[in-house]
Amino acid sequence: MDTVETTTPRPHQENAAPRPVGESVTRLDAHEKVTGEAVFADDLQFGPNMLYARIKRSPHPHARILKIDASQALALPGVKTVVTGQSTPGFIGLYLKDRHIFCTDRARFVGDPVAGVAAVTEEIAERALDLIHVEYEVLPPVLDPEDGVRPDAELLHPELGSYEVANFIFPQPGTNIPNLFKIRKGDVDQALSEAAAVVHHTFRVPHVQHVPIEPHVAIAKVDERGRVTLWGSSQSPFAQRNLIASALGISQADLEVVAPYVGGGFGCKAGVSMEALAVAIAMQVRGRPVKLRLTREEEFYTTFVRQGLVAHFTMACDAEGNLTAMDNKFYWDGGAYAEYGVNMTRGAGYSSSGPYDVPNVRTDSFCVYTNHPVGGPMRGFGQPEMQCGLEQCINHLALEIGMDPMDFRRRNCVKEGSNLVTGMKMHATGIGECIEKAAEAIGWGHKDPPSAPHKRRGKGIAAMWKAPAMSPNAGSSAWIEMSEDGKCTLGLGGQELGQGTFTVMAQMAAATLGIPYDWVRIASPVDTKYSPYEWQTVASRLTWSMGNAVVAAAKDARRQILELVARSWEETPEDLDIVNGNVISAKSGRSSSLKGLVVYGLAKPGDQGWIGGPILGRGSFMPTYVTGLDPETGQGQRAVVHYTTGAQAVEVEVDLETGRVQVLRGASAFDMGKAINPDLVNVQMEGGLVQGISTALFECLQLKDGVVRNPSFVDYRIATSADAPRDMQSIIVEVPQDDGPFGARGVGEHSMVPTMPAIANAIHDALGIHPGAPPFTAEKVYLAMVDAGLVK
Amino acid sequence: MREAHPGLPDFDYVRPADLEEASRFLAQNPQTARPFMGGTDTFVRLRDGFWKETRYLVDVKNLDGRSEITFDPQKGLTVGAAVSMNQVVANPRVGSHYSLLAQAAHRVASYQLRTRATLVGNVCNASPAGDTLGACLLFGGVLRVHGVEGFRDEPLASFFQGPGRTALKPGDIVTAIRFPLPVPGSVGHYEKLGRNLLSDLAIVGVTVLGHPDSSTASGYRFHLALASVGPVPVVLPDLLTQAPVTPEALEEAAGQAMESCHPIDDVRGSARYRKLMVRNLSRRALTRVWEGLQSGYRGE
Repeated sequence: MDTVETTTPRPHQENAAPRPVGESVTRLDAHEKVTGEAVFADDLQFGPNMLYARIKRSPHPHARILKIDASQALALPGVKTVVTGQSTPGFIGLYLKDRHIFCTDRARFVGDPVAGVAAVTEEIAERALDLIHVEYEVLPPVLDPEDGVRPDAELLHPELGSYEVANFIFPQPGTNIPNLFKIRKGDVDQALSEAAAVVHHTFRVPHVQHVPIEPHVAIAKVDERGRVTLWGSSQSPFAQRNLIASALGISQADLEVVAPYVGGGFGCKAGVSMEALAVAIAMQVRGRPVKLRLTREEEFYTTFVRQGLVAHFTMACDAEGNLTAMDNKFYWDGGAYAEYGVNMTRGAGYSSSGPYDVPNVRTDSFCVYTNHPVGGPMRGFGQPEMQCGLEQCINHLALEIGMDPMDFRRRNCVKEGSNLVTGMKMHATGIGECIEKAAEAIGWGHKDPPSAPHKRRGKGIAAMWKAPAMSPNAGSSAWIEMSEDGKCTLGLGGQELGQGTFTVMAQMAAATLGIPYDWVRIASPVDTKYSPYEWQTVASRLTWSMGNAVVAAAKDARRQILELVARSWEETPEDLDIVNGNVISAKSGRSSSLKGLVVYGLAKPGDQGWIGGPILGRGSFMPTYVTGLDPETGQGQRAVVHYTTGAQAVEVEVDLETGRVQVLRGASAFDMGKAINPDLVNVQMEGGLVQGISTALFECLQLKDGVVRNPSFVDYRIATSADAPRDMQSIIVEVPQDDGPFGARGVGEHSMVPTMPAIANAIHDALGIHPGAPPFTAEKVYLAMVDAGLVK
Repeated sequence: MREAHPGLPDFDYVRPADLEEASRFLAQNPQTARPFMGGTDTFVRLRDGFWKETRYLVDVKNLDGRSEITFDPQKGLTVGAAVSMNQVVANPRVGSHYSLLAQAAHRVASYQLRTRATLVGNVCNASPAGDTLGACLLFGGVLRVHGVEGFRDEPLASFFQGPGRTALKPGDIVTAIRFPLPVPGSVGHYEKLGRNLLSDLAIVGVTVLGHPDSSTASGYRFHLALASVGPVPVVLPDLLTQAPVTPEALEEAAGQAMESCHPIDDVRGSARYRKLMVRNLSRRALTRVWEGLQSGYRGE
């Protein structure tokens, strides 16, 4: 097996990558998705035996469950089972096991699953919910993360100290703090006292939802021997296999997760959210598939939401405009369970300097339990929320010291060899180029006249960085099986969410193996029983991590083929190559098609037997070089695998009569090391910009007393094509990554990280008003203009 | 929080042969039967559990003459109850004589929904945020209603009684809405403020219709209607008649509009913002109409 072991940086790969790497080939899934042929989880058919599940949910943000009486529901014709927390006593969770599948003694948010029903129709299951009677003792809720850390706060998880936890997460038993990440670098107080300029700001970033076009759906079936099959819309088939099996006390080998195409994830289908409910219910009705499908309204508050954040920044620089200190306090609104969200706290902490070289940094990043919906991963994994405030402070500080905000960023941004906030040394990065190119693309420094007298224009820029936030040893694997005609099937466990990963993997496999792109098939759907292991499709990590595994598998297959042919031709493998599906010899000039030989091997001369056999390439990749960080200082050798960096610049126009902000143009420049497929990279940059605009201008879960007041698209507005800028530019910067395939690193999430602050900074440029926390709705901007005396 | 239900509750679909049968059925089942037209509000409300008692949907959209737009140069415009918003927008007679109506209809929801949504349905739904209510009111719309006692007319001026509440009684089916000929030289404009550009409900909607009038001191007459700032549309008739129309007079009229409404705080916007927007958008709409009256502009 060819395993990539990267402990020390390898030399950069040369830029001339073999075809079709670097080409914008057509997506593998384009035809089936355009025609509607593509299969999604809700399309799967299970026949008349299938049951439908619905979930009884807590109407209280915080309550003790005194009694559940399901007798009336069980008596309703068509109801097959009612499941409560008594059947599922185990804990579940990715980094911190703090959650039961169904509530046992306590409900911690509005929507917390209290009981589940399976019935012959969805309507009967729904009707049965009203017949389940739950007695609650209502408890005081925690509705603000800063309230949650107070010593007298009501405790949501008194058992926090006994929960199983990953060794890089630091819960504080006896509090509502499931993780506290600290950075102590340099002497912040000294630096602040000597600074030429200091800014201090607080931002309250609201919860938002991922709103994938396809709501969550899961179908579970348990056979008579207790073996489980789960079909679902999933970013994490293997993590679900592991977490659900552990919670139910069964072997991972007895739980199979089948995951067809995902109709949008953005993080909400990572880890486990509602899938375990379907499995727990199916346990009680063995032999029958049980389908659970969330309504759009449930989608808004019962699965993961993006955490809210209260962030306090103090930032300082010297007279020349060099950043000297940052003092940060983050209070993450982790919601009722923080099993996944605890790692966002950590990610925000080890990136808390932003993409800047800052000698003195002090950060306290608190994850706080609240009686709010469960905070989970969302595109950017905490960085959009954190850098929203950070990048506005950078702007303020630049203006305070009298520098152009673009120059200030160029001056302070990290460079190769910079001593990062965790003590890690920065690798080669193109961030400076990204900042310059994004600014240049919107005509930085040039003020355009507004389109009408009652409008004002402004330009803003923000830079960003983000590392894949994951377990340090998150692994990938792949296999390549050759078919008789020389084409191949590529097995992988990463998921196609629309981002194009199957296409990119096929490109890398074809390039490495030496066959045409259209010779590669993907073994899909991903099925944990047949597909190779992949940790999760998150963290923008597939192109990099799964790509390394795919390249390793392709190299392994290639090596086997070349050794076989070399033996037959009595040459050495080093003199042979595979080009366009043919083995060729540079030495003898011989050439042979792959046809036949990759399955049947080759005959020895004179009919004296055979050599070779079916070619099966295998590869795996796991980063082995990420080290732990000191719990008190956050310092260590290597906090993360690497950082993807970039910048966005936008031009906005503000309507002085309504406060409406229109983004006229936006430029994104990101350094993804190597664009394996430039078109796919460009649409990631465009998509991230539009989603970023949506969260900057419109999106907000309006929480009141723990209740989401706008759980539908009527009142949860997202950007439409009309709200997107007409002029979007995407700029590819390629400074190769030493541990990435063909020099590539991920770019899926990054393009929505800098959008909120870029727009905020542009609004400030237009009006002279700091708009603060998103969303920068027309109302918020108008009332800010009134308060500033700009309008009446 | 509103309960979220998968699918729809059970109901029977009733398709009467004629209006008499339809009115009779609706009158006999006042709590449980509802007339069903485009369905764009009906099905959403059924799914939301907003109408818990509904057991029958009475399909009234295929009855005679209900999908036509007719124009009579003497009497004016008649829009059948089953005419979709998109048909209103595309109709050349509407465009040339009642362009304000087309403009307002064009701002309802999205193109897809406008293929099903009807003008009469929008009026009968009586949402305070209804985009076309202002135009229908200012054009002097009169509903043709068939009830258990036969046909009658319901002027819109006295039609709206509260959110979702109207002068309609059980058994009533609106068959058409009629508009008299507009005053010659009329110019209209609709200003809608949504949270984002497309397919939102109005935070504030301002409809203005103006026309030359030799009997007034100003030589003009302006009428204004407001959406989303009260339980029913707020109408301010006969503005800007007393003195010459100037920017200051327009500003004053806009201020009058602001003072006339009493909006509430809700998830879409605060009362404070709504009042300020009533002033600003009224100023904007009045100015657009005023400019149109001077230049021969007939609205968008």
